[in-house]
Amino acid sequence: MSETTSGSPSPGTPSREEIRVGVYVCHCGGNISDVVDVAKVVEEVGRHPSVEVSKHFPFLCSDPGQQLILEDIRRNGVNRVVVSACSPFLHETTFRKALQRAGLNPYLYEHVNVREQVSWVHKAKRESATEKAIRLTLAGVEKVARQDPLEAIRVQAEPHVVVIGAGIAGMRAAVSAARRGLRVTLIEKSDRTGGRLNELATLYPDNESARAVVDDLTQMVVGDGNIDLCLNSRLTMVDGYVGSFTVGFETRGPEGPILRQVRAGAIILATGFRHYEPFEGELGYGQSPDVMTLPEFNRALESTPPGDLPTFGGRRVRHVAFVHCVGSRQIEGVHRPQPDGRVNDYCSRVCCTAALHSIHRLMDKHPGVRVFDVYRDIRTYGRGHEDLYEKASKRGVLFFRHTEENQPTVELQASQNGHPPHRIRVRDVLTWNEEVEIPVDLVVLATGMMPSDIGGIVQTMKLPVGSDRFLQEVHPKLRPVEVANNGVFLAGTCQGPMDAVEAVAAGEAAAVKASILLSKGVIEMDPFVARVREERCDGCALCLNECEYRGALAMAESADGRKVARVNPALCAGCGACAAVCEPRAIEVAGWSLDQFDAMVDALVSR
Amino acid sequence: MIANHPVDKADALVVGAGIAGLQAALDLADQGFQVVIAERQPSIGGHMINLSKVFPTLDCASCITTPRMASASHHPNIRVFTYTEVEAIRPVGDRFEATLTRKPRHIDEDRCIGCKRCEEACTVYLPDEYEHGLGAKKAVSIPFTNAIPQYPVLDMDECFLCGGCARACPTDAIDYLQQPETFRLEAGAVILATGYDMTPMDAKSQYGGGRLPNVISPWQAERLLAPHGPYGGVLRPSDGKVPDSIAFVQCAGSRDLSLGVPYCSRVCCMYAIKQAMLLSGSLPIADITIYYMDIRAFGKGYEQFYLNAKAMGIEFVKAKVARITEDEDHNPIVRIERQEADAAPEEVRHDLVILSLGMVPAWVPDRDGIVPLQTGSDRFLLSPKPRVSPTLTSLPGVFACGAATGPKDIVDSIVEAGAAAMQAAAHLQRTLAGAVR
Repeated sequence: MSETTSGSPSPGTPSREEIRVGVYVCHCGGNISDVVDVAKVVEEVGRHPSVEVSKHFPFLCSDPGQQLILEDIRRNGVNRVVVSACSPFLHETTFRKALQRAGLNPYLYEHVNVREQVSWVHKAKRESATEKAIRLTLAGVEKVARQDPLEAIRVQAEPHVVVIGAGIAGMRAAVSAARRGLRVTLIEKSDRTGGRLNELATLYPDNESARAVVDDLTQMVVGDGNIDLCLNSRLTMVDGYVGSFTVGFETRGPEGPILRQVRAGAIILATGFRHYEPFEGELGYGQSPDVMTLPEFNRALESTPPGDLPTFGGRRVRHVAFVHCVGSRQIEGVHRPQPDGRVNDYCSRVCCTAALHSIHRLMDKHPGVRVFDVYRDIRTYGRGHEDLYEKASKRGVLFFRHTEENQPTVELQASQNGHPPHRIRVRDVLTWNEEVEIPVDLVVLATGMMPSDIGGIVQTMKLPVGSDRFLQEVHPKLRPVEVANNGVFLAGTCQGPMDAVEAVAAGEAAAVKASILLSKGVIEMDPFVARVREERCDGCALCLNECEYRGALAMAESADGRKVARVNPALCAGCGACAAVCEPRAIEVAGWSLDQFDAMVDALVSR
Repeated sequence: MIANHPVDKADALVVGAGIAGLQAALDLADQGFQVVIAERQPSIGGHMINLSKVFPTLDCASCITTPRMASASHHPNIRVFTYTEVEAIRPVGDRFEATLTRKPRHIDEDRCIGCKRCEEACTVYLPDEYEHGLGAKKAVSIPFTNAIPQYPVLDMDECFLCGGCARACPTDAIDYLQQPETFRLEAGAVILATGYDMTPMDAKSQYGGGRLPNVISPWQAERLLAPHGPYGGVLRPSDGKVPDSIAFVQCAGSRDLSLGVPYCSRVCCMYAIKQAMLLSGSLPIADITIYYMDIRAFGKGYEQFYLNAKAMGIEFVKAKVARITEDEDHNPIVRIERQEADAAPEEVRHDLVILSLGMVPAWVPDRDGIVPLQTGSDRFLLSPKPRVSPTLTSLPGVFACGAATGPKDIVDSIVEAGAAAMQAAAHLQRTLAGAVR
């Protein structure tokens, strides 16, 4: 508590100067104005006694749009602003910053969503859409008219990052953060660094040694005095908040487990992936040693004796088939779901190129082998990937393509005097949908990626998870390494399938966000948290029962010796559960008071 | 901030103000480094600001690009030079000396207030490159509505010298005689975010691109689909008819040795699917077909996006397109060889065809000079250690991100921009500490 300050002025003292609201309605280049009659909105809302100016503009988020608002604040005495535009998720911050540049408190601002909530959903009803936009905007005016200036919450930033997972993404994140002067605790559950890369000999498309990559990064980690690498360690608890997390972990040692705690300003998750495990009987898996997954095959290929033909498990192999999309791009009703009831409907991104890479390695080592490739789409998207596909065709790999409706099947048979015993049946698009039977000695399943089993961490840290079970970023386009939890970042395949280059880039991108967050020593947060009007609080403590955020709310003694509720603004999430049970309206969320809600409801229904 | 006057020093120079360059600049500036952005176009925003919507979220591109543009242009640690060419970058010890030339806008930027009266007064109409030739602009004009900065550019090659703009300008900002201005900048690190160009429309002459009026580029399709696009709706260029049958030809500029682009351009499947979905939204009864080899929906949420498109009724046809001709009404006729049926080649008539063009690097060191760097056989910049530091280049202190290092979509560019900013920040920290010692 000592290190956080909430500068919100006490709410009971409305030293209100005359309220002069500026209302700005955005066309969003037609996204809004094609449906909503923006001129009418401006005209109707302009009649409100508190509204000083009311204008519309093609793109308010553009520089000239923001300039328009700035001028009105500076020259025309506007002291509250309402912008009716897109979702506040997109531009609320943009306009708050504009207010700040004009010298106005950035929280004397209300963002009204007339795009997602009006124009996009009421395309066919221009008139009622316009009416809805008017009412929503008027409600915004009423709300902002009752808004006091607020101050951002400031929290000290601990210059320390905890990175969970010492695969290549985690190591890269740790090294990058350490090079910016941050202390790093790198927690790895296994006894070595490198994660999944340890399973591979070489990497596509250029055959770089996986060992060399892991060694290179490990040396950077070990050689950096700012990094504390903790192997054999497991996360046990996370407490606190952005800037000041307490992270507990347990290290297994020769003398039993050691519990440790560190304080960190940010946490980077680099918990990686696991391979999809085929079900018993899925394409023959588990029913014959001749059916293996790609990782199993890669391991086995390391120890085949050199020769024209390889030997796997003592059996000479002449015909090998690779089957793509095992555990990826699954179809509900066709594929067997995972225990959570869902199939893996996503593409695992790396398996196409990984399979082709393994095919080349197999053919390089054993030139006599015959290879068949069974696929739906070949997704060799990255640099140098297409080349592997092209070369595979040239080397005589036979490709069979099936549609999503016609999945291939594997029939296992006992060996018959040297002939390939097993059969893959596939309805092949490339030979005009013929049903083709491929005789093979060995079937390799190019299995997809699933997130590591991190249910414990997800629960401890309350992390958002997507429908694909990978950790969910804030915005899949614009903010790929951030999660909704303040101060927590994602590095690598915990967020979704990616290859080594992409995972390392994500590790660095996560580190840069941590560096930005912690570089100023102080973190500013929005002040929309609960606050108590102590003179109204009767000390009933009902609010404490409702609060889900540990430490956010406690009972304390007021200046006049009464028992009252008190808020820790850094831990409060501003959910408002406390306000809902407070009969005397003593506790409320700053910027979202019940008085404001009352006025908004009145505005919505009174036209 | 938008800079109108040369500066001599910065921590980092970022070349290119597309989404990768903007993100890299912001990620450096937010750590307290002083950044200069040099952009050759008159506005920042790159290709992304020109899109209608983005896959797979279908966010409106203007809506999500302008915040980044505004953040960069207002950032106290960023100075932006638009309409500026980087002539050379030369390593000098630990640092770099860059030579930059500001091209003449023929506008005095200190005086211009962006009122557009010059634009209104101008009587010369030219094809609007922002609308990819589908609309017109004036010879003096602000490049597009949400351009940053809001200065017009006067095209002296097309100007009639009628003097109308100069008379209309309330601040006397028109400068017919403005000259290029060259200045030097010293920087501790350089980030190249030089982006991509699309493969030319006419590269595959048998597809009729650039020759047949209703065979259009994906950029033209983006503009037709943008809510603030040139026609306010989807109309085909030859006669303004609303198309009922629209086809996409995939890999029209990629995976083709004969074009010198043997690689996959990585984004074309997804942008075609996105455009098809948007078309199906604005033209609910239109038939939309995508001719393809492989659908490469490999990114997060992309496969589901592809499945949604199929569910919407967009037809995906595995076929190679041999050539495109047209009938007397300019309806494109697409000759296809289907992969899945034992059928002779067939000819399908559509109202509008979009060629899904590929990506080539916008800046190539051995062609365009500036700074010598190693490239791959695909001519994109190459990292000597792609799996340890993907954004390195062959010159220490120079980093690269976004489409400069290979075809890439927006999210992958943003991740890489963060990585490049991280590398540059660590490099600066090391070299600046060295300088103090």
